[in-house]
Amino acid sequence: MRWNRSLLGTAAASLLLAAQAQAAPTGGHYGGTLKLVAAAAEGTADPGVNYTLKYWQLFPMIYDGLVTFEKAGGKAAFNIIPDLATSLPTPTDGGKTYVFHLRKGIKFSNGKEVMPSDVAYTFTRLFKVLNPNAGTWYNVIVGGDACVKTPKTCVLPGVVADDKAGTVTFHLVHPDSEFLDQLAVPFGSIVPAGTPEKDMGTTPIPGTGAYMIKSYDPNKGMVMVRNPHFKQWDAKAQPWGYPNEITYTFGPTATAQTTAVENGQYDWMFELIPSDRLNEVATKYPHQIHVSPLLAYWYLEMNVNMKPFSNLDARLAVNYAIDRGAMVKLYGGPVLATPSCQVLPPGMPGYQPYCPFTKNPGTKWSAPDMAKAKALMAKSGMIGQKVTVITQNVEPYSGLGDYVQSVLNQLGFKASVKKISPDIEFTYLQNTKNKVQIGVTDWYQDYPAPSDFLNVLYSCANFHPGSDTSINMPGFCDKSIDAMMQKAMTVSLTNLAAADKIWAAVDRKVTDLASTATMFNPKHVDFTSKRLGNFVFSGQIQFLPDLAWVK
Amino acid sequence: MVSTILRRLAHMLFVMVGISALVFLIFFATPGTDPAARIAGRNATPATLAAVRHEFGLDRPLPVQYVLMMDHLFITQNLTSFVNRGEKIVPEIVEAAPVTLSLVLGAGVVWAAFGVLVGLLAAAFKDTVIDRALMVFSLIGVSMPVFWLGEVVNLVTQSRLHDTLLFSWVPTLGYVPLTQDPFGWFKALVLPWITLAVLYIGIYGRVLRANLVEALQEDYVRTARAKGLSARAVLIRHALRCSMISFVTLFGLDFGALVGGGALLTEVVFGLQGVGALTFHALEDLDLPMIMATVIYASFFVVISNAVVDILYAVFDPRVRAR
Repeated sequence: MRWNRSLLGTAAASLLLAAQAQAAPTGGHYGGTLKLVAAAAEGTADPGVNYTLKYWQLFPMIYDGLVTFEKAGGKAAFNIIPDLATSLPTPTDGGKTYVFHLRKGIKFSNGKEVMPSDVAYTFTRLFKVLNPNAGTWYNVIVGGDACVKTPKTCVLPGVVADDKAGTVTFHLVHPDSEFLDQLAVPFGSIVPAGTPEKDMGTTPIPGTGAYMIKSYDPNKGMVMVRNPHFKQWDAKAQPWGYPNEITYTFGPTATAQTTAVENGQYDWMFELIPSDRLNEVATKYPHQIHVSPLLAYWYLEMNVNMKPFSNLDARLAVNYAIDRGAMVKLYGGPVLATPSCQVLPPGMPGYQPYCPFTKNPGTKWSAPDMAKAKALMAKSGMIGQKVTVITQNVEPYSGLGDYVQSVLNQLGFKASVKKISPDIEFTYLQNTKNKVQIGVTDWYQDYPAPSDFLNVLYSCANFHPGSDTSINMPGFCDKSIDAMMQKAMTVSLTNLAAADKIWAAVDRKVTDLASTATMFNPKHVDFTSKRLGNFVFSGQIQFLPDLAWVK
Repeated sequence: MVSTILRRLAHMLFVMVGISALVFLIFFATPGTDPAARIAGRNATPATLAAVRHEFGLDRPLPVQYVLMMDHLFITQNLTSFVNRGEKIVPEIVEAAPVTLSLVLGAGVVWAAFGVLVGLLAAAFKDTVIDRALMVFSLIGVSMPVFWLGEVVNLVTQSRLHDTLLFSWVPTLGYVPLTQDPFGWFKALVLPWITLAVLYIGIYGRVLRANLVEALQEDYVRTARAKGLSARAVLIRHALRCSMISFVTLFGLDFGALVGGGALLTEVVFGLQGVGALTFHALEDLDLPMIMATVIYASFFVVISNAVVDILYAVFDPRVRAR
């Protein structure tokens, strides 16, 4: 219901706007101040550096890339559409060359017109500011690897700007099926040439979006106002937002935020509603709660290079033994999560329901199979082994850790649980020096591509022993699966459907080898104020603040 | 006197260097805290990680890093956060200090006034119902953790009874600068003041009562009574005055610790962006520069208040001065 209405609203607005594409629209739902709140700031405001969900939610209304994800709810949110470019280019030269034609007349918030040279500058700058994914994503651009090695002297011959013709050409080292995804995320935000080649931190960089950052103080908050030079070119890519001003306050705890949204003091809270307040909010304010699916999964990672989980049967035993239904309850109940056995979440391309670790194996998890688990344990010879479960000392991690401990004890392990600060757990799990055997963790998508789960988390290349950044936590490395993934990425350039089939097969193989035990796919809960209308949830960006009505 | 102050200053410097070195070492000894890994992002390659490590000087020996950080903190004052990059630490603390100061000053006034009142009443009505009741209430006040009390205050004033006449005046959680809106400043802080003060009213009331009861048995009080002074005059002019010494000492120490960031929990619960909140978030994010700065700031105030109290001792009590 709500979703349909919101789409209609956007469509009507875009029609209206086509007629008056000059100053920011007024009247109707336009205007007012949207008030967002979060417990704390989350880093630099530089779109070339910041890699957090919190600011990736804001950047799409402040900056534009050559392409972008459609600003919409439902499946459309994963569509890549042209933004600063006039159209999506078809790659040539065997998938290694992309030519973008830039729209004319688009200006940065400092009044300067966007030129192809700005685009070239932006991508060189990405390497110079040590973009987190420079070496994993953007090094596919010709010259990228050299830039990763010596960022200071980076020149990127792979990006050719022609200001006269209004084109930008990208030359890649090899075909990359996710190149457009990687241009569409906020790292691809085009910034003006001449922007200092260092992390700009709290100093806002001019952008082309409907809003611009007026002030940013990590201890207080952020204020976003309308960009005076903005004219809407495509409502799906960068719409005139509804609010005239968007404020983001940092400080209150999740509990205080919940109360404040109930009181209408803020319109939306970043933190999840604390579990002890969920019931109250759900019963008293059912119309202000929005539950949306996420491309994400929560899982147990098991170190395949260390006893006892170097043993496949022991890992399988864990997979058969865990009661995913109980884990969903610990997370907040069936409304907030769905049990799962596999890596890819529902809604992800290549997703084919698959669950071998259940009473009646098939597509859906129904109940744990303890008998089978115990038989596997006996076979593994790992009974009596000591295991330490690593988890965070906050809910729901803490409860999940306790639960895993009890299951491991049932299986015959001598299990203990170590709960550590949420701030260090994620990096702690990654470093082999910490000798983690099993840990509770999760992964949320960067963009809707199966490789963002399978290749990132399970490829040999992403296992770095002795480093705090080794995202392949189990240390899983299977050359044949690596080859399959490479093939899927190549095939997807020409035939997405065929690639998705390969990904589905990879998903099954990785699941079968059980280096991780998937628990469930979480859903996202947003709590908004009474006055907020037109709540649109994009699976890519999450809640879209610019489309919300406060009038 | 001059040599005493100089010695004190030397002590202070020693303590602060010691504390900061300790914090620095604990940070790097904790697994999973590698600042470079956090800065580089969750999917960075070893090459990017190495570049970040070099850029932030994290590949240098620890003593060098320590000295550089102290240089950026005290000499050039351009130390920036590891987490909120570009956030300059020193100005951020300078800006947060008035928030903490407003909170602690107000709470200090409340707890000093009520602490004296409770102590006086309890001593004056010693062993009566009033005394017992006040002492029981003080004990309850001391026993309630401030973060719990704060949450309950918020629950009542912001949620359950927010729409009633009683609490509809309570503003949104957060700080309002005194210079911008004095009345708003007062409204935003009055509940945090009371919440923070409750614990100290309890402690100070009990301490003062004990001191007064002791003082009332001293010879000079008997003399005062013998002179024919009224009970009130004896209590307030003679006994209280002498009993205030330990009260003032205690106040100095607590006040110093709170201004230094000890009011952390109160600030977090009430969404006040003071030094305590900065410390809290820095600990949460493992933001080493901010942790270092706030710890040094806090130890500075604790050491200073200790020194001031020592000097006050000398002023109050000639016996100390003679030593």
